[in-house]
Amino acid sequence: MATIEERVKAVTARVLKLDPEQIKPEHSFTVDLGAESVQSIELVAMFEEEFGIEMDEDAALSVETVGKAVEFIAAVCREQGVDAD
Amino acid sequence: MDKVRKRHPLVDANEPNLLEDIYQYSLPPLIRFEGPVVEYIDGKAVEFDFRDAGDRNILITDTTFRDGQQARPPYTIEQMVHIYDLMSRLSGPNGVIRQTEFFLYTKNDRETLDRCRALGHKYPECTGWIRAFKGDFRLVKEAGLKETGILTSSSDYHIFHKLKFRSRAECMDSYCEIVEAAFEAGVRPRCHLEDLTRADVDGFVFPFVDRLMEMSSEVPEELSAKIRLCDTMGFGISYPGAELPRSIPKLIYKLNRECGVPSSRLEWHGHNDFHKVHTNAGTAWLYGCDAVNTTVFGFGERTGNPPLEGAIFEYIALKGDLCGIDTMAITELADYMRSIGLPIPENYPFAGRSFNTTRAGIHADGLRRDEQIYNIFDTEKLLGRPPRVAITDKSGADGVAHWVNEFFGLKGEDRINKIKIHKLARWVIDQYDEYGRLTAISDQELEAKVKELLPDYWEKYKSH
Repeated sequence: MATIEERVKAVTARVLKLDPEQIKPEHSFTVDLGAESVQSIELVAMFEEEFGIEMDEDAALSVETVGKAVEFIAAVCREQGVDAD
Repeated sequence: MDKVRKRHPLVDANEPNLLEDIYQYSLPPLIRFEGPVVEYIDGKAVEFDFRDAGDRNILITDTTFRDGQQARPPYTIEQMVHIYDLMSRLSGPNGVIRQTEFFLYTKNDRETLDRCRALGHKYPECTGWIRAFKGDFRLVKEAGLKETGILTSSSDYHIFHKLKFRSRAECMDSYCEIVEAAFEAGVRPRCHLEDLTRADVDGFVFPFVDRLMEMSSEVPEELSAKIRLCDTMGFGISYPGAELPRSIPKLIYKLNRECGVPSSRLEWHGHNDFHKVHTNAGTAWLYGCDAVNTTVFGFGERTGNPPLEGAIFEYIALKGDLCGIDTMAITELADYMRSIGLPIPENYPFAGRSFNTTRAGIHADGLRRDEQIYNIFDTEKLLGRPPRVAITDKSGADGVAHWVNEFFGLKGEDRINKIKIHKLARWVIDQYDEYGRLTAISDQELEAKVKELLPDYWEKYKSH
């Protein structure tokens, strides 16, 4: 089964139309990967769908990098009893 | 000017100070004054204390059917009766809109007056308007009115070039003759000092008003002449220190204190040729004119008159209370005016279709967080018009989410967050980025897309 990081990268690549191999944990969604405003919303929506979780809107949108997103989603999965790994 | 440098240390706070004593949201922001102002008149410092405005018997009068009709094809009788009826509702039981005036020249004019009076409303009281011709006065008597406006033009442009008098004395005698006729008939004259802000005030206006006050002292109080200060060309200036005849403070002071016309008999009538019309009317109130003369949505000769609805909100802001005014009637008046073909600009305050509509995503985000951030007051409560967003490429997901929540009528915890509407936000962006759209997206288009892209919410909130 893919790790949270691999799944986050796959969703990010699909939404932003990028090669998943080029996405690194330290990449900023907006500055490095070029996510525009509506794409940030789509990313959060797709993460929710991928992991079967509900995220707080403002907290989720304040996450800046891929690595932080992995940590954030892992924490939400734990809180909501979702087995993500 | 002396330097008055002063340090201003930060007053740190963990709780916001929203200045709610001024910005109560349930009312328009209150207008408060901290002390008197000084105007130099004839070299002397004269104090005016605006703090008494809330206690004074200030009021609004209306000329929608007189000056307002000079700017457009005539209203039908039915239209005028309906507008009068709505105006009465807006005015409320205290008669904040105290009077409205009617032409008396045609059969239709007189029938309109009769039908408005037949509605039985106490306010606005119906008054007339005639030229300063003795023959016209017969119309007032036949209509059975208690008060009429009389055109007593005051500048030499009018006295010599329009009315062709040979001298000011001849003009004044002529005016006074018609005022005398009004007194004899038991009708109160309201002398309209046309073109006052371009008149030789010391040479003609003040002497004429002195004479009117002398004449008025000989008749019962209820007949004594009223004075309407007509800024016919919109030349009036509100700024302290401005010269006569354009200075509104000085004109009012001299008529009020030197000529002795009580505030209750002074009325300001402005025009908007220099975009000063509403502020000039408010200035007149503050400096001692009890009445400001207005028209519905400012429709009036050329650039128009002080807008009635603007004066209404100014009144509430000065009084700090609705005073019985039914502000919802403003929205009904706007809808009615549009329905009979009178255009109201989209961005026109209080009544335009978009007066509280934002197109900016960042403003929509503010509205989402707290409506008060980008709404002037509780426009839903006072006008039946909640703040809205118009959807364009600048609206962002916040704007789209706000639109959806308004559409479903969701408030507080029930509001849908922008994550849940991402498909609709994507569709909106694609209209511009992918398909090159240049116009705003209509409510009808959005409604259809909500049904298609947010079927669960549609089922939950719209299927019943």
